[in-house]
Amino acid sequence: MKMTPAVVVIGSLIILFTVVSVVIILPYADTSKTIPSDLLRTRTVMEEKGRALYISNGCVYCHTQSIRSIDWGLGAERLAQAGDYLKDSPILLGSQRTGPDLSQEGGEHPDDWHQAHFTNPRYTRPLSIMPPFQFLKQDNLDMLIRYVQSLGLKNADLRMERQTLWKKRSVDAYESGVNENVAWLHENVPRGWREIPTPYPASEAGLARGEKIYQDFCFGCHGPVGDGMGPAQPFLYPPPLNFTILKGRGISGGIIYYQIMNGITGTAMPYFKRELESEKIWDVGNYIAKYFIDQIDADQEPKGIDAAYE
Amino acid sequence: MSENPTRPDTATYLTAKGFCLTSAAWMIMATLVGFTAAIELVAPDLTGNIAWLLFSRLRPMHVNLVLFGFVTSGLLASAFYMVPRLLRTELYSEQLGVFTVVLWNAAIAAMVVTLALGYTQGREYAEMIWPIDVGIVVAFSLVFFNLMMTVKNRQEKILYVTVWYVLAGTILTICTYSLGNVIWQPDSGALAGIPDAIILWFYGHNVFGLLLTPYAAAVVYYIIPQVCRTPLYSHTLSLLGFWSLIVIYTHIGTHHLLQVPVPTWLKVVAVVDSIAMVIPVMAFLINIWYTARGKIGLISGDIGGKFVFVGTIMYFIVSIRGAMMALPDVQRVTHFTHWVVGHAHVGVLGWAGMVALGGIYFILPKITGKPLFSQFLANFQYWMILIGVVGFTIVLTISGLIQGNAWLSGETVYRVLPQIHIYNVVRASLGLLIFISSLLGFYNIFRSLFSNSGEIP
Repeated sequence: MKMTPAVVVIGSLIILFTVVSVVIILPYADTSKTIPSDLLRTRTVMEEKGRALYISNGCVYCHTQSIRSIDWGLGAERLAQAGDYLKDSPILLGSQRTGPDLSQEGGEHPDDWHQAHFTNPRYTRPLSIMPPFQFLKQDNLDMLIRYVQSLGLKNADLRMERQTLWKKRSVDAYESGVNENVAWLHENVPRGWREIPTPYPASEAGLARGEKIYQDFCFGCHGPVGDGMGPAQPFLYPPPLNFTILKGRGISGGIIYYQIMNGITGTAMPYFKRELESEKIWDVGNYIAKYFIDQIDADQEPKGIDAAYE
Repeated sequence: MSENPTRPDTATYLTAKGFCLTSAAWMIMATLVGFTAAIELVAPDLTGNIAWLLFSRLRPMHVNLVLFGFVTSGLLASAFYMVPRLLRTELYSEQLGVFTVVLWNAAIAAMVVTLALGYTQGREYAEMIWPIDVGIVVAFSLVFFNLMMTVKNRQEKILYVTVWYVLAGTILTICTYSLGNVIWQPDSGALAGIPDAIILWFYGHNVFGLLLTPYAAAVVYYIIPQVCRTPLYSHTLSLLGFWSLIVIYTHIGTHHLLQVPVPTWLKVVAVVDSIAMVIPVMAFLINIWYTARGKIGLISGDIGGKFVFVGTIMYFIVSIRGAMMALPDVQRVTHFTHWVVGHAHVGVLGWAGMVALGGIYFILPKITGKPLFSQFLANFQYWMILIGVVGFTIVLTISGLIQGNAWLSGETVYRVLPQIHIYNVVRASLGLLIFISSLLGFYNIFRSLFSNSGEIP
């Protein structure tokens, strides 16, 4: 084969255009027929501006918006569909998952949690390696929060309705006084859970594990001594719970477990069921009960069948 | 090789010199930015609330600086020396070449400033805003025009394989860059939805497939036979490698989207052709390695040859990794993890970057007419980069496997962060090594060009 300049240049261009028609134009004919998915809606002006901030600050380099069938974490309840992305220009799938996928982040937390989190991510998530975004002025931060709260679109709207409803209820409860607030919190734990004492013994090793978990997950809001004065506290309303007031107010291992597992929608208290499994939750519950509440129900009846360990 | 050693070399090689210096200077910036970003993964509050020093602003800056500032410039330096030499003529216009160097640097400087300020189109490798995109396309067009005119003026009838790769790499990059940056949409530089992802990764993969790889292959095809003082092993393999590269590499961009709702047939094409990449890769490598067979002594004695030869080994590694990652079963673990970052470092620093540096050290004595300022510094830099890139590959592969397997078994991203912390620490220290090597490299290249007594130390 004689490689003249024309053969090299025109030959490679012909190949490129052939390939482009196969891998770009042909799929375009396919994907341009995509119909909107059930959750698609138009973004508001604020959300669009927030999206521009998301792009200009490079959030896409650490957060994907691409839920796969193999995912377990945040957003995994809904597999991504082509119709979800119709209004995304550019599409923000991402290529690295240094932080969680944000496809369905909208409404996972109330706005005040995001305010604390953007100010310094370690205020709410002590192990986070996300940069602080305090430099964004408040109006920009508001727009960014609106965008983040819209992720998941119609699904996010449903979750936001829930946040708004329970935000109001939790604020009312908080403002009605300590006894009423604690009573309200306990009332909202299903009866069965309320009556369960911690089934795990509060062993020295278990308490040490509990301390580790507390520092990795709870410290930012509830503070080093469990009085609710963690670094995120100034941003949050209702403020993080002061554990030391719970003594003698009907607390049980079951209540602590349930609230760590399920969170308290409307407040900044997230659910941890994805991150902590049973033993870890009992351990951190024991740690809180023993050191902060000073009232622990581990080793109490009913214990059921004797455990095989220890 | 078809060169005429008797012909007096009257060329000034100003363009090649300009690109040498461009590459060396931007390598400092690129590695400093990468190093800083790597530290921020360990100490996220390090730069506090300084917007332009955020990890998320430095990340695209690092990638674009490495791709376009350091590696492409270094490879262009070699191209501007090698193409005229192979054609037994001088560059059509050194003036135009120098103008291209200035324009290229202006575009890169503008890229650094705009990305630092948050002006970005938010698409990987296509972040640069429209005016800079235009600058890049114009610069590549000037390169193409200059080289095509050189081809036209040639005294040597036969085009050597290096010339094929440089010409094809340049003209195809003009097309894919414009296409991938959706240059007809100045505002967003993007399509909407899934088609945007498809066109982005078509382009994203072709930055490596149709720019870095052809240019690097061109440099390898020039240097290895010269250093080994032997003709190229096979013309047929050159042809096979060249044409199959263009046919196959262009098909595989969608392997970045195997877990995304794109048409399944397109994924099949991407996976099949990713495996078929063995054809262009091995055609090239067998050709080069057979040329070098029994000549390792000569290669290790030449600093340019050494960089370039190790580059081909890295090409082998990165291609095997690439083909593996395109398998859906492997990708279940590796996708979105540091494994991919490791792959990128072997490919861009290990393969294209080492070849770019090898090219610079090989041509410097020839374009200055004096020996390299310091063989020692060049050798030292070689070892620093080799240790750095092998280290990157190891730690990023390990932390990628930790991430991927943990996620697959149900751990959240947050809970895996402490597990990869130590690898991020090692990654940052290796980044320091590469950064220091870039300072040594710049000093050596600068002194070779401007303040060189010409004595062999």
